[in-house]
Amino acid sequence: MERLMPMSIKSAWLNLLRNSRRSILSILIIAVVVFALCCTGGFGLYTYQSLMKETAMSIGHITLSQPQYFEQEEDLPLDNGLSDYPMIGKGLDSIQEIHAILPRIEFNGLISNGRKSTIYMGTGIDPQEFAIKGEFLAVKSGNTLSPDSDGPAEKDEPEVMLGANLAQNLKVTIGDVVTLLSTTADGVLNAIDFKVRGIFSTGVPDLDKRQLYINVASAQALLSTHKVSTLSVYLFETQQTSVVQKQIDAKLSKMRLAEPVITTPWQKLAVFYDGVKNLYNRIFVIMGGVMALVVFAALFNSMTMSVTERTREIGTLAALGTYPGEIIRGFLLEAVLMAICGAVIGGGLSAGMALLLTFVDVRMPPAPGRTASYPLHIYFSAELFISVALAVAIICFVVAWFAARKGVKKPIIEALIYV
Amino acid sequence: MLSFLNIKKDYRLGAQTVQALGDVNGEIQSGEMVALCGPSGSGKSTLLNILGMLDMNYQGNVFIDGTPFPRKVSDATALRRSSLGFVFQRFNLIPVMSAIENVAYPLMLNKFSAKMQKEKAEQMLVKVGLEDFFHYRPEQLSGGQQQRVAIARALVHQPRLVIADEPTASLDSHSANNVIHIMKTLGHEMGTTFVIATHDSRMASQCDRCINLVDGLISSEDIQWNA
Repeated sequence: MERLMPMSIKSAWLNLLRNSRRSILSILIIAVVVFALCCTGGFGLYTYQSLMKETAMSIGHITLSQPQYFEQEEDLPLDNGLSDYPMIGKGLDSIQEIHAILPRIEFNGLISNGRKSTIYMGTGIDPQEFAIKGEFLAVKSGNTLSPDSDGPAEKDEPEVMLGANLAQNLKVTIGDVVTLLSTTADGVLNAIDFKVRGIFSTGVPDLDKRQLYINVASAQALLSTHKVSTLSVYLFETQQTSVVQKQIDAKLSKMRLAEPVITTPWQKLAVFYDGVKNLYNRIFVIMGGVMALVVFAALFNSMTMSVTERTREIGTLAALGTYPGEIIRGFLLEAVLMAICGAVIGGGLSAGMALLLTFVDVRMPPAPGRTASYPLHIYFSAELFISVALAVAIICFVVAWFAARKGVKKPIIEALIYV
Repeated sequence: MLSFLNIKKDYRLGAQTVQALGDVNGEIQSGEMVALCGPSGSGKSTLLNILGMLDMNYQGNVFIDGTPFPRKVSDATALRRSSLGFVFQRFNLIPVMSAIENVAYPLMLNKFSAKMQKEKAEQMLVKVGLEDFFHYRPEQLSGGQQQRVAIARALVHQPRLVIADEPTASLDSHSANNVIHIMKTLGHEMGTTFVIATHDSRMASQCDRCINLVDGLISSEDIQWNA
């Protein structure tokens, strides 16, 4: 049987060449389907990857907070804040996979230019965040917060970065002064003047109308607190999230902290990421189903014609003592050869397309609710390609089995006189 | 070697039942070359198909070396593979295989080693005078050459019985004579039993015996050509 295999493959190949036009058409259909699915899936993977990076860069790979922080609204600012954050930061310093641990304070209130007031959503950040995370905001004018502006006490004019639409609404520009009002942790009103240092865009117009950034120390002064809302842990590699989370949990359990602290990975906070992933996955499944039907219909027609044309040959093989299973195996081999050829061509084309898009700048229109377009990229995933190729091969296999089974069921005498 | 008893076969044509064979009996000795003769519709092809285990839907019994023909399809396939050879009117070679591959096919089915397949197929092709055509595809061969390849294929695994259905009907007289000569020579040389359905009187005259069929029955003449 070892020697039978090469002969079978040779016969299957020659049988494909017997009606080369039909075989080429079938192979092309498979190639187009593999190409389409690899490109669609590749675009999905690129989107997942981009969103994952964006989300992790925005909120951190792991967020440390009090257990209630994400579950219930605070009565007063920082009710669920962390007071021992410097100690936690020092305690986690030894974990090598951690790139940075940055404190954050989420707050809100009113912002005024003296004549006009509007509500804002503020975030107190460590100015180092800009250096560590790179350009996570598109700075329209001015600069990011200065790393040396450690607190309002040391500076006459603490600084603020405003969302582009917020700045436009208040008619302020770089160097102007705005007043931020907020409720302190004790429940009284406080106000501090801030000098506008930069104007940015998040790419989401609704956020740009409300968002502002000040440094953590300024936020603590405004809220009259020594706490922070959360600690965001940034890693070198996103894939290490769960491993590092366990290490952090282990270290936290050994610390004596004023409040209980839990860790939350980025996936649990990435509602948008999950939504997009689910949507794309469903689109991919529906598209895959339609493509599978196309392949099935096209190949079934082609294979049935091939089997019908070879009815007399099937009769001859059966008369000579070939078992039906052995005859069917020949047709299955032909189908698998077609699937391999089609998959290789389709996979090669999609890899070429992925490569081409790294050189050619094709822009996608802005996503709903966003202002910026983004580059079209496709990830060529070997895993995805193998899955698609396997699925196509299985369809070819099933089609060939159905078609050939019909052929071998014909009585030998009828098959031998078939014209 | 081969005996058939009370063979009956009916066909249904719409509401009508047509008798193809009615109570046919006979015996064929080992190494004998027997012709099934008769006009069209006499039942010779039907009997040939039954003796070749291609048609298993009949009444009566067929014995090969005293053993009844299997009634199970897979057993019949196995027996055809090991003990029978076929020569068809229209040659029925596998178009994608070369002459040597076509001849080696029964050996491959019977799990001969690759070396043996090659050796035996080459020997057989030499015997039928096609030593220069080992790697020719059927489409590259003439009708007579194709039928010689078919004879080589039928005999290469040394079957006990070769079933031939009008082997000379698609050939010109020169090729037909050649094919008849080869079948007779190799049949005697290898001691193979031949059952040949034929209209061709030259073919029939070269056989040891002719079983004449008329209207599904063996007629009184059972001519011993070479007796």
